[in-house]
Amino acid sequence: MRTVEEVVSGVFGVEPQSLDESSSPESVEGWDSMGHVNLVTALEQHFNVSIDIDDVMEMGSVGKIRKILLAYGVQA
Amino acid sequence: MEERVDHRKNRDADDVEAQRLVYRGLKESGRTAEAHAALNRLVELDPSGGTATFAHRERGKLGEVGGRPVRIAILSSYVLDPLVPFLDVECRRAGLTPAFYVAPFNQYTQEVLNPSSGLYAFGPEIVFVALDLEDLFPGVRRGPSVDELARSRAEIRGTIAGLVRELHARSSALIIVHELTFTGSSPHGILDNRRGDGLSRWTEDVNRDLADDLGAQAHAFLLPLRQVLGRAGNERGQSRKLYYMARMRHGDGALRELARHSMRYVKPLKGLTRKCVVVDLDGTLWGGVVGEVGPEGIQLGPAAPGIEFVDFQEALLNLTKRGIVLAVCSKNNPDDVMPVLREHKHMVLREEHFAAVRINWRNKAENLAEIAAELNLGLDSFVFLDDNPVERELIRQMLPQVLTVELPRDASQYRSTLESLTDFELLAVTKEDEQRASQYQANRQRQALERSSGSLDDYLHSLEIRAEIARAEGHHVPRLVQMLNKTNQFNTTTRRYQTPEIERFVASPDHRVYVLEVVDRFGEHGLVGSAIVGQERDAWRIDNVLLSCRVMGLSVETVLLKRIYDAARLHDVARLVGEFIPTAKNSPTADFYSRHGFQLAGDVDGVQAWTLDPRVDRIEDPAWIAVKTTGE
Repeated sequence: MRTVEEVVSGVFGVEPQSLDESSSPESVEGWDSMGHVNLVTALEQHFNVSIDIDDVMEMGSVGKIRKILLAYGVQA
Repeated sequence: MEERVDHRKNRDADDVEAQRLVYRGLKESGRTAEAHAALNRLVELDPSGGTATFAHRERGKLGEVGGRPVRIAILSSYVLDPLVPFLDVECRRAGLTPAFYVAPFNQYTQEVLNPSSGLYAFGPEIVFVALDLEDLFPGVRRGPSVDELARSRAEIRGTIAGLVRELHARSSALIIVHELTFTGSSPHGILDNRRGDGLSRWTEDVNRDLADDLGAQAHAFLLPLRQVLGRAGNERGQSRKLYYMARMRHGDGALRELARHSMRYVKPLKGLTRKCVVVDLDGTLWGGVVGEVGPEGIQLGPAAPGIEFVDFQEALLNLTKRGIVLAVCSKNNPDDVMPVLREHKHMVLREEHFAAVRINWRNKAENLAEIAAELNLGLDSFVFLDDNPVERELIRQMLPQVLTVELPRDASQYRSTLESLTDFELLAVTKEDEQRASQYQANRQRQALERSSGSLDDYLHSLEIRAEIARAEGHHVPRLVQMLNKTNQFNTTTRRYQTPEIERFVASPDHRVYVLEVVDRFGEHGLVGSAIVGQERDAWRIDNVLLSCRVMGLSVETVLLKRIYDAARLHDVARLVGEFIPTAKNSPTADFYSRHGFQLAGDVDGVQAWTLDPRVDRIEDPAWIAVKTTGE
């Protein structure tokens, strides 16, 4: 299984090493509203979960994504 | 650095991350064209929205590398922006450099009605109109009554007809309207198709209305969205959530299918329709090697193994119905193969279905080049189907302009592989397309005659050529547009006019559009030439002359020019100006004006102007052509 950083880097085509807990739409190129839909699709497919829409809207950084996924039983 | 990049390209071709590194390396070394190709491969390896979007964004930074431009606009009642990255990569695979305009979400009516909207400022060549049934008729979700359904059906029909009419009045773009789909469940359950207020039948009716209305217009098409989404399968299941989150309707899989299908309209619009399919025999048209197992031992028949090859041959035969030409190129002994082509009872394709046949042991690249010359077609309109990866690699390297299809190892996938190609579409099928196969057969007879004739002059006389020339009328327009968009060799200016422009020229008192039909003793060639003349105050400007490659070398182009010349004399025009724009492909036309006595008078921005004074100079019809003219 990949880490959250690896999924984020795969979706936006950035180096995984350039990402940290605070990486967010402000710091990652391509993470706009359409990019966020692509990211959520990739997270759902990769971790085999269906993420509630209120959680989708809270996923504003790598750290927040990791924390929310924990509630779905995913440690990434 | 560069060596490392090449090394990686081979070793890790299947690995998305490695491919991304390859891309970065190429980008940093300034190898722009290869970087673009690496992005195409990247999306092929990982066709997700994220990666397609990444590739689309990177193109903007790379800069372009030529490629024919195409301007694509999207009008939608929902968020369809995510289609753009997928369409982008499909266009680039076809060698096009696309520009996109996506109208603001749900603003399609304003964009169409306002002459100064972003849509018209963009100047699209093709507009996709994607409206969702639920957006047009929200009540469809709540079990509408028979009356509501009837009213909405009429409203939807009127709305879309009005949009197409207004769009067409302000733009010459090709208009592609998506079918309407209903994705929810009917409130009536399994009783739905028994009831007057059932939704499945109503949806059929609505789409049939659209098909009827759009089918009557050359510039508008109905895109079979239901079929496209069906191919994408369960990806559609995601759409409700995408809609709640982002007002999107389609998931990645559906967008990819939709982008591929959209190319079926873009390619013929840009003259990228492939015209000839060259097939191998052993392992491609039948299973086994006929030279080893004999005609009775090959796999070909009504049961497996063998039925998959019959099926594949039927799909190839279907292509000939819209004017695609078939040819054979096989490494074999003719004595082993010909009995199969002529007598095997389960062969669908016979000798007469092939416009050219090459059964020999020579290199296939040479054979293909020879077939292209024989059929007078460019290799860039060829598709090559061969089960042998070694032959495919040879053609890819030697003749990259040929589309070499990666045939799967499993022959039961052959038919679907062929049918998934988007390169065989025509915006209209003309009489000429339907007759093409028999025309190539007649060509073979002509060539036999040419070989047996003593001199070229004898040969030309013996063909008994009759040329009929007339002013173009409305019913000629589809064939004219088709020729203007696909003729490359004998084409003086390669101006790719579309239907609205040609309709305007035909109707305009300031233009003369001529059409040329040719018949000879072996059969009809059909409408094979045209000329467009602009009548200006002190001169007539020959905007375009073109000739189908099928009739090159017969001097029928002289008949076209003579006709323009006669009309110019009649009107006492002092100057005929023939324009010529050289391209990579139209060198056979380069001496067209000079050999008819025109003088080069100028060259402005790549447009040469050749002039002739009809009051002084002379043009004569060739002695071997019987010319019939109608009208002035």
